[in-house]
Amino acid sequence: MDDPESAKPPRTPHQLRSRRAILAGSAGLVAAGATAAMVYAGGSDGSGSRLVVPGIASDEPLGSPTASATPAPDLGKMPIEDPRRRAAHLLRRAGFGGNAREIAEFAGLSREAAADRLLNFEAVDNSALDARLAAKPYELLDYQNGLALDMQRWWLTRMAYTARPLEERMTFIWHGLLTSQLSKIGPQRGKLMVRQNELFRSMALPKYDELLKAVSRDPAMLLYLDNADSTKAHPNENYARELMELFSIGIGNYSEEDVRESARAFTGWRITAPQRTAEPGTTLTDEERRAALRAAALAYEPEFYIAEKQHDAGQKTFMGETGNFGGDDIIDIIMKQPATSKRMCTRLFQEFVRYEPDEETVAALVETWESTHFDVRAVIRQILVSDAFYSEAAYRSFVRTPVDFVVGLVRSLEVETDFRTLITRQGGMQTMNQVLFEPLSVAGWPKGPAWLSSGTFFGRVNFADALLYGAGRPRAKQLPAIPALAAATTADATVDLALERLVDGQVAAETRDALYAHARSLTNPAERAAAVAYLVASSPEFQLA
Amino acid sequence: MLSRRDFVRGGAALVSIGTGANSLLKGAVAFAAQNPQYVADPNSKKTLILVQLAGGNDGLNTVAPVSNPAYRSARRVIGVTEAEGLPLTNGFAFHPKLAGMKALWDAGKVGIIQGVGYPEQDYSHFKSMAIWQGGDPKQPQPDGWLGRTMEQMESEAHDPFFGFNVGSGTPREMQGDVPVPSVLDRDDYAFKLAGQPAPAGDPRTATLMKLYEQYPAQSPYGALLETTAESAVLSSQQLVESGKSYKAAVEYPQTSFGSGMSLLSEAVVNDLGMRVGHITLGGFDTHSNELADHAGLMETLDQGLTAFYQDLEAQGKADDVLVVTWSEFGRRVAENANGGSDHGSAAICFALGKNVQGGMFGEIPSLDNLIDKGNLQYTVDFRSVYATIIERWLGVPSVPLLGQEWAKLGFLPG
Repeated sequence: MDDPESAKPPRTPHQLRSRRAILAGSAGLVAAGATAAMVYAGGSDGSGSRLVVPGIASDEPLGSPTASATPAPDLGKMPIEDPRRRAAHLLRRAGFGGNAREIAEFAGLSREAAADRLLNFEAVDNSALDARLAAKPYELLDYQNGLALDMQRWWLTRMAYTARPLEERMTFIWHGLLTSQLSKIGPQRGKLMVRQNELFRSMALPKYDELLKAVSRDPAMLLYLDNADSTKAHPNENYARELMELFSIGIGNYSEEDVRESARAFTGWRITAPQRTAEPGTTLTDEERRAALRAAALAYEPEFYIAEKQHDAGQKTFMGETGNFGGDDIIDIIMKQPATSKRMCTRLFQEFVRYEPDEETVAALVETWESTHFDVRAVIRQILVSDAFYSEAAYRSFVRTPVDFVVGLVRSLEVETDFRTLITRQGGMQTMNQVLFEPLSVAGWPKGPAWLSSGTFFGRVNFADALLYGAGRPRAKQLPAIPALAAATTADATVDLALERLVDGQVAAETRDALYAHARSLTNPAERAAAVAYLVASSPEFQLA
Repeated sequence: MLSRRDFVRGGAALVSIGTGANSLLKGAVAFAAQNPQYVADPNSKKTLILVQLAGGNDGLNTVAPVSNPAYRSARRVIGVTEAEGLPLTNGFAFHPKLAGMKALWDAGKVGIIQGVGYPEQDYSHFKSMAIWQGGDPKQPQPDGWLGRTMEQMESEAHDPFFGFNVGSGTPREMQGDVPVPSVLDRDDYAFKLAGQPAPAGDPRTATLMKLYEQYPAQSPYGALLETTAESAVLSSQQLVESGKSYKAAVEYPQTSFGSGMSLLSEAVVNDLGMRVGHITLGGFDTHSNELADHAGLMETLDQGLTAFYQDLEAQGKADDVLVVTWSEFGRRVAENANGGSDHGSAAICFALGKNVQGGMFGEIPSLDNLIDKGNLQYTVDFRSVYATIIERWLGVPSVPLLGQEWAKLGFLPG
């Protein structure tokens, strides 16, 4: 779905010229990576922002998206200069956004020191998060509710309040790549999705072959892609296929024969069955039965094993090699392929830098990937210190995922929430089309424009409303505090601070003026702060990252 | 009713800065000028409602070959019996819960297309869905068959509800350049202020819209952001207005499918400009306990579709609407050991509407010559169904959209 091959598949001959392709500038420019810095030059103090659009005329002739009188400068080579903007960009991409203190700290670091502080998260004390999670335990077996609300709240809380943002970012990336869906696992086994999530967290920056081997044994994965049912007589090809198509080498680099042969190598991979809930013949009331089922589900800790009788130990020929391969051997062979290195490095580049791969940077990452035996940590470090990462072409080139929207808002404004009134059966992430633990398909989450539709637009702005006005909270007489804006005492200062915190102060003067005018019309400081924060959170600029 | 064009003309600050709305309009006009043959009749009100039965609906238990001994022996536990089934023709019977559909069948308003599938059936939900939704079994498509079709149908008067989905995200088959509002719950499809519906003329909303109007089209995602916000606001206003005047002529069932069908009816009755509507009913992956689960699904489907048809009929709109159902695959012919059925291949599609030619279409797949260890050999390519809808109902040429000529089927008169 988002690998380079299929991100822009060759349009078949029946693809007509579409309406939007004819819309000159707009779409074409986006793809070309026009950035905010091209448009907004000037300080972030609210005084100097002026609209500047070098090389891009607004009356572009229709039908020529790339035509331009003046050649646009190569944004990929134009560095982000302002250290605070660089720090904010880093914290958005490698985490979920920074607060004032974090941005100030990171602005004072070299690229390398900043990257290392994020990467070496094991050294960072995260006990405040642990205490927060322990204080109001989340029910991670929320199977009475099909949407597994507490699981979402639990993970969002982790993302919003962790002191190790890269650890959560990587967990989110693995969840979107090595997908499983709660609805297929079954809500009564939702706990296995949490277990998978903890696997991703514990292997946030792995050697990639080790992560593949671990996730191939993960109970949720074994159930999700049906490998737990794969037998010697009837190998199930689902896992073997996705392992190659989505989790590693990518489509076009293996044959159907490779799928069949590798499926044989994964036969007999099993998890232990749950305990029986009651002896046959026992009579239980409905309530007792429910309690017993719940207790059994809570106690269920499946173990991985290989059922020798169901495992096909015979000879297989896979990607040109022949042997009595097991699943791990298959993974080792896949990892040796240059196409795997290229696809994985491209994918990681796309997670952090831009959707459009930059061949030169990716080639350098591939060298590191191969020389370090697929060390994700080394590759991500290289990404986070690269010129491509800190280029204007990368800045604001992502559409925020709903998770980035929600968590970014909470982190940047430093508001307090346990998500209980925000993630509900009726509302929350669902209205933005991203329910954690429930990726849209086996291919994970989309990237970019797919996140923006009229329905998800309301999902976003109404989430901001609920968070900042405290909708749904019991006894909500007072507006929730917005600590990040507490220092502002005037209307204009509130606007300047909110813009600085949420969008690096990078907006056109007209936008700032419209916000000033709105803020000045409100006299109650709490109401003013909520309105300004809502408006900036709902603004076009904050939908990007 | 406020169309996009009215909105743009009607002022707002949108036009003055020459961004999305304006250029979108220009683009649509330019498109029309360059591709006259592909611009559908702007006065047509013919509307398609596509109903996705997600999970793989058991076609053999929906329209059951009850008199076929091979069916009865393959389906001893979960099969529809001759006694229970609602008799159709040729030894077939509807599932007993399809009573409303049976009445519509008797009235000649239901077309049943048999054996719909494609070459080299994929048995994965995701892949098979992607094939149906993209419209090409060989080449994954970046957009959906209906999305591409809507691009060709759309004229310069862009109605926000031209394509309309009941659900949370744009379904894959509708993905394309035409923005599709997705409404899960109508109350959520509007601005809220402190959790309550924002009053009309709310200054905070006005300021927010100003931020989108002023956002330079040349900035990242400029056109996308502006048109998304604009489309959201317009369609939300329309929906609020519409909700005040719509009154269903019948009582819809208290299911989310029922309320979704009611919303689609409202879009037709209130003339929201919808030409393509979409709704999903899920839960069809009946690997176990199929008797009870499938019966519940059939009942939900039957009641929702029947209420929808009766509502439109009572409001004088039934002529304008065609409902088509599809599912990513059917189920294996033989039931499994858990009182269910496993992923299969070809299955049926329903076409329902006042202008539908009732009856069965397509060759009935044999229960004796099975493929892939017990599955039906498809007899009708799903693109034949699409081509029939595209040309005979939506009124645009299908070859450019589907890559080649596909035989049209008789469920819509040629």
